[in-house]
Amino acid sequence: MFTTGSKLLLGSTVAALVGTLLYGILAGGIMGTVGLVSATAALGAFSAIVIFTRDANVASDDIDEFSSAAAGADRPGASMWPLALGLAAATITLGLVTYTAIFMLGMVLLIAGTAEWMLQAWSERASSDAAHNREVRGRLAYTAEMPAAAAIGLGIIIYAFSRVMLGVPSKASTIVAFSVVAAVVLLAGAIVGSNRRISAPKLTGVFAIAGVALVSGGAVAGLNGEREIEEHHTTAYYAAEGKCSAEEISADEHASQTVAGKASQAAEIILSEAGLTYTYPGVDQVRSGSIQLPRSSAVNLLFRNETGEPRRLVAEMAPEVEGSPAQVCTQLVEEGGVQLLTLIYPVPSFDPALEANGGYAFTVPGVDDARLEVVVP
Amino acid sequence: MSHSHEDHERTMSTDVRTTRRLSNVRQRSLISGGLAVAAMVGLSSCATNAPQDTWQPAGENAQKIHDLQWPVFATAGVVGIIVLTFIGIIIFRFRDKGQPIPDQSHGKAWLEYLFIAIPAVILTAIAIPTVGVVMALAETDDTECIINVTGQQWWWEYDYEVEPDGTICGFAPSAGEASPIITSGQVVIPAGTKVLMRGTSRDVIHSYWIPRLNGKKDMVPGRVHYLRLQSDTPGIYAGQCTEFCGLSHANMRMETVVLAPADFQRWLDNELEPYQSPEEGTLAKEGEATFITQCSRCHQVNGLVDDKGTDDTGDDTLVVSYPDQFVFSGAAPNLTNLMGRNTFAGATWDLLTPECRDDVWGASPEEFGEKYLAGVSDECLNEIDLREWLRNSPAKKPMYADAELLEPTDGKTRGMPYLALSEDQIDQLIAYLLERK
Repeated sequence: MFTTGSKLLLGSTVAALVGTLLYGILAGGIMGTVGLVSATAALGAFSAIVIFTRDANVASDDIDEFSSAAAGADRPGASMWPLALGLAAATITLGLVTYTAIFMLGMVLLIAGTAEWMLQAWSERASSDAAHNREVRGRLAYTAEMPAAAAIGLGIIIYAFSRVMLGVPSKASTIVAFSVVAAVVLLAGAIVGSNRRISAPKLTGVFAIAGVALVSGGAVAGLNGEREIEEHHTTAYYAAEGKCSAEEISADEHASQTVAGKASQAAEIILSEAGLTYTYPGVDQVRSGSIQLPRSSAVNLLFRNETGEPRRLVAEMAPEVEGSPAQVCTQLVEEGGVQLLTLIYPVPSFDPALEANGGYAFTVPGVDDARLEVVVP
Repeated sequence: MSHSHEDHERTMSTDVRTTRRLSNVRQRSLISGGLAVAAMVGLSSCATNAPQDTWQPAGENAQKIHDLQWPVFATAGVVGIIVLTFIGIIIFRFRDKGQPIPDQSHGKAWLEYLFIAIPAVILTAIAIPTVGVVMALAETDDTECIINVTGQQWWWEYDYEVEPDGTICGFAPSAGEASPIITSGQVVIPAGTKVLMRGTSRDVIHSYWIPRLNGKKDMVPGRVHYLRLQSDTPGIYAGQCTEFCGLSHANMRMETVVLAPADFQRWLDNELEPYQSPEEGTLAKEGEATFITQCSRCHQVNGLVDDKGTDDTGDDTLVVSYPDQFVFSGAAPNLTNLMGRNTFAGATWDLLTPECRDDVWGASPEEFGEKYLAGVSDECLNEIDLREWLRNSPAKKPMYADAELLEPTDGKTRGMPYLALSEDQIDQLIAYLLERK
């Protein structure tokens, strides 16, 4: 009846009970007494369970029960997943005090580790044939493991490669990406494809070395940081600085000189020797002096330059109004070129706040008489 | 045994009678239901008060559409009747009477060619005039007047373009210079003038449709679409937004008011009149102050000044609304001459009592201008709806007026919010607004 385990637990229970009584009577601390009573109760419960199950032992004369007894079952195989779960717990703890991303990584590890461990435990009980159990596990697990491993592997390769590309000078990176790496991949593919006698271990070794080299390169490049990348300002930057002038600015580089035919513009503003004029699509009449545009509505305007000099259109806006820029301008437009300008007028043109700025208007830097007043009702 | 057989026979005959009775009841229900539907459809086509009836064109372009849709519908009707008749005959004649299945044939070349040729001929015959009408409807070169129309949840705004020669729709103001006129709900156009509506939207896609004057045109944010409105007959022509645009889409209406040239001149001069402040000591004057504190954040009344402060030149400060800070669409109706038009809240409710409305809507083309230009008088004001609107507008017209309920608007309302106005303030505002004409 009493096995080795039950004897040990019963002894511990008795010891805990004695300790409880002694501590309770002599020391009298409430918390300590509660703790010892809890320990006594827990050990007593364990003792009862073990006595009831007889340590999972089967009597020597009960041969029929041998195969089904817990002690008669195979031991579970070695598993790395408890280790992974430990790592997950540590990562989660670290994530809780540092970054959300680390916490999320820990959670992913925890979920994946738990699933894998459960799957392993389940497959090991599938049959008494270990090889069959492994096959069963593989059938189920590989459908998730293979794509996940491929995604992680690809992610590492892409990330490492991108670090290398961002680390080396832009011209060198172009050469590396499109010439050297492409040539190496092509060459490797050609060799592997033409020579079928290359053994699998050799191929694995070569790819492993390439992978390690790539990851190492990515790590080194990542630690060194990205190369200095020149900032390219848009016209909005120059407009905010009040630098929409006749001079060429960096935002003018590679300026588009055409606009898609599907662009829906409210008006086409034309700069010619006669100054600034405009037309409404569908209305065969050239207008000048002032243009009427709606309030609080995005307006697309086409600017066409018909002079011999590159020019830009500047929209004088409402700097006094919160959220409105002082100016909006196009890039330099070559002769015959067009560009689209999208504007939103926040307040009507009769707002006294606009008077200080001279009101809404279109101007062309370098052409003094080119001015178009904007009326916003 | 025989007794039992008789019982069985009796039960059987009772069952048969019951089944027949049920079948007769079902048949009668079907026939009476069908007749009711047919009567409903037939009678609805006899409606005389149908302001949005495409079969009563009142403009050049609507007439073109009408002239096209008649033959198209007639052709479709004839084809439909022929096809349905054939189907009916075939169903009846070849119904299952226990006869053997006839010989099955696979294909009859001449019949197939015929069934391809007939639709091809019909479709070609329809396509030629259709393309012609579509091209004609897109015609804008002969425009005589430009009006910008902007849709937003859930009303339409109109601003009249001042032409380079200082006219509006070809009409010069009798005194002073022309300035852009901005209005909402009702657009007023001169009779016989080819008006080009340049349409866009401030928030979502809307669609502009005055059925008696032209077809539909979508109004899309960031794009400008064109629609011709023209009519020779003075009167009011109703329309409705026809692109689902949110909670109050059904309450987004519009009306086109066509005035005889002389009447349009009077309307124009009235719109360009300088602002008249109410007399001191009147309820309307109190309403002006209430308007400035409660309404002018969003609603503009041109020329309204706040006498509590002066600007740099020493003049009273001009009151300028900033709806872009409070309303998602960035706009609210301009109320400068609210009582000069006879609808409010996206043309959803009349400013006129039913009797006065009928008087204006039912006026002959000759009398219409005079009656419309009289605006809304004290006696004709539909005070019930206007009061309800001022008391709690979101309760009257479904709107996302509580900015908290709609995160993407960045704290701005869609439509007019609840302002918690007191009854005294509402009295003041009505007195003030009654003078806005």
